[in-house]
Amino acid sequence: MRPRVLISEPNAEVRRLLELTIERLGYEPVQPTPCGPPPAVDAVVIEPAAAESHSLLHRFGDDVPPVICLSVYPREAGLAPPESVAYLVKPSSQTALGVALRDVFSS
Amino acid sequence: MRAVVPAPRQRTMTQRRLVQIAALAGMLLTFAVMMLTNTARDVGAIGLAPWVGLFGYETGVVGGLAAAALGIGLWLVASNDQDVAVTPLTLAIRIVVFVLFALASSLVGRRMREGERTHRSQLTLQSALIDSTLDGMCLTDAEGNVLISNAPLRRLSLELGLPAEGTVPERLIAVAARTTEPERYRIRMRELGQNPMASSEDEFELRGSGRVFRGYTAPITDADGRFGGRIWTLREITADRELDRLRDAFVAGVSHELRTPLTSISGFLEMLRDEEESLGEAGRMYLDVIRRSTDRLQRLVEDLLLVAQIEAHRLELVLDTVELDDVAAAAVEAALPTAHEREVDLRLELDGAPTVHADAGRLAQVLDNLISNAVKFTDAGGSVTVSVVKNGAFAQMTVADTGVGIPRDEQSQLFSSFFRASTATRQAIPGTGLGLVIVRAIIEQHGGTVDLESREGKGTTVTVTLPVDSGEAAA
Repeated sequence: MRPRVLISEPNAEVRRLLELTIERLGYEPVQPTPCGPPPAVDAVVIEPAAAESHSLLHRFGDDVPPVICLSVYPREAGLAPPESVAYLVKPSSQTALGVALRDVFSS
Repeated sequence: MRAVVPAPRQRTMTQRRLVQIAALAGMLLTFAVMMLTNTARDVGAIGLAPWVGLFGYETGVVGGLAAAALGIGLWLVASNDQDVAVTPLTLAIRIVVFVLFALASSLVGRRMREGERTHRSQLTLQSALIDSTLDGMCLTDAEGNVLISNAPLRRLSLELGLPAEGTVPERLIAVAARTTEPERYRIRMRELGQNPMASSEDEFELRGSGRVFRGYTAPITDADGRFGGRIWTLREITADRELDRLRDAFVAGVSHELRTPLTSISGFLEMLRDEEESLGEAGRMYLDVIRRSTDRLQRLVEDLLLVAQIEAHRLELVLDTVELDDVAAAAVEAALPTAHEREVDLRLELDGAPTVHADAGRLAQVLDNLISNAVKFTDAGGSVTVSVVKNGAFAQMTVADTGVGIPRDEQSQLFSSFFRASTATRQAIPGTGLGLVIVRAIIEQHGGTVDLESREGKGTTVTVTLPVDSGEAAA
């Protein structure tokens, strides 16, 4: 069974791109549900500048999966949640996202 | 600060009338003394002459002649009373002398009064001139006491709450606690006190109000070159700083927003790579153009964001031990394809390149910027030489080209954001005018310097000097 990766990205085109990229990298892209408990996933890719990303993480409660940030803002902006294991700045290459996801699943 | 441009003491009509009365009284008193002491022969007309002169000086020609006539009359009365012989010749001589004396005195008086009026008028104009500037200005003596100040400075002093008494440094240091950086402010003031011949330009912000001021001071010297005092200027730059802040926020905001569409463009371009073979030759060419343009747009966004960081003093370095020859070799290798394409001979000269404690990524960015500039501004057949040498406790990286050069009168602006030399705009060489700003900011953050020498039509040499690692320097 392929590892599942939840995507929280406010821009529809970037969201679609992430779905395709994650699919190509061999993982299963998952879209968040609008409310209620979030789907069971192995990792989350978020845009930390979007409020919806933080509310999504909040819905995980104490069991937040590893978080990869993919942001328009640099790491110095201090937007990354404590659960983040990697921080990429847009536009990031497919390779960089692949490395970050591989690191998450190999650990 | 209470002192103002000093106007010459303007004598009032009352003062002038008093002098005239004193002159008349003096003349009558002299006459009375002559009469009482029987000294008309000994004192003679000469005793009355000063009063004639004084009266003429104050009242002009008519008054002077009248005083001369009165003086002659009094002398005649005294002489007649005391049986002093008065011949027509002696009378004529005295009349001529008195008249000439009265005329000369009145003319001198008039000239003096005109000079005084001109001087007063010039000072009024000068005062109006320095009062009409937006900057507060004052001149102090060697001890720091105010000699001259203008109206804007008096207004700013009130608004800043500067004490009314004391020397300028004492008054300025009194508001240190109200600035956002009181310690830095005090240090700057102390430095000024210790170095009388130093010039200084500094900015300070008031806590709470957010008002920002720029102060400038420079020594003034006397004819022998000795310290004679200081000129001080103070300008409120709150509005300028607010505009800078808005501009930076706008640029940063737009740049961040640009990253979202750039993500889509570059991401889908990456996806297309797998299907590139299925495209025709024209399709692949179009894709290359899109790819190059995307890269350029991405670099522009990164440069804009970096400049915003620099201007907000938020540039952070990730320091490590860096082998400069590795950095230089990588930068030259990366620029080789472009240099070949432009038929520019790109060379690397390493001569015991030292190790530095630096941010390798940022140093690579510096060299990339300098080399790409040099290649861009060098015609086919020219050369670009990158060299790294150790010079005592410093490492020097030099990028020298044989390109178009930069006009001398534009060189001082090269490190200003968005400035582009006329040699670049004339030949439509692409660029943003941010490269050298970034280079200098990165190098200065490392404690180094950037020097540029250029001759139009001959080429440009940029030298970056960095302190080497202390261990390396010792070796």
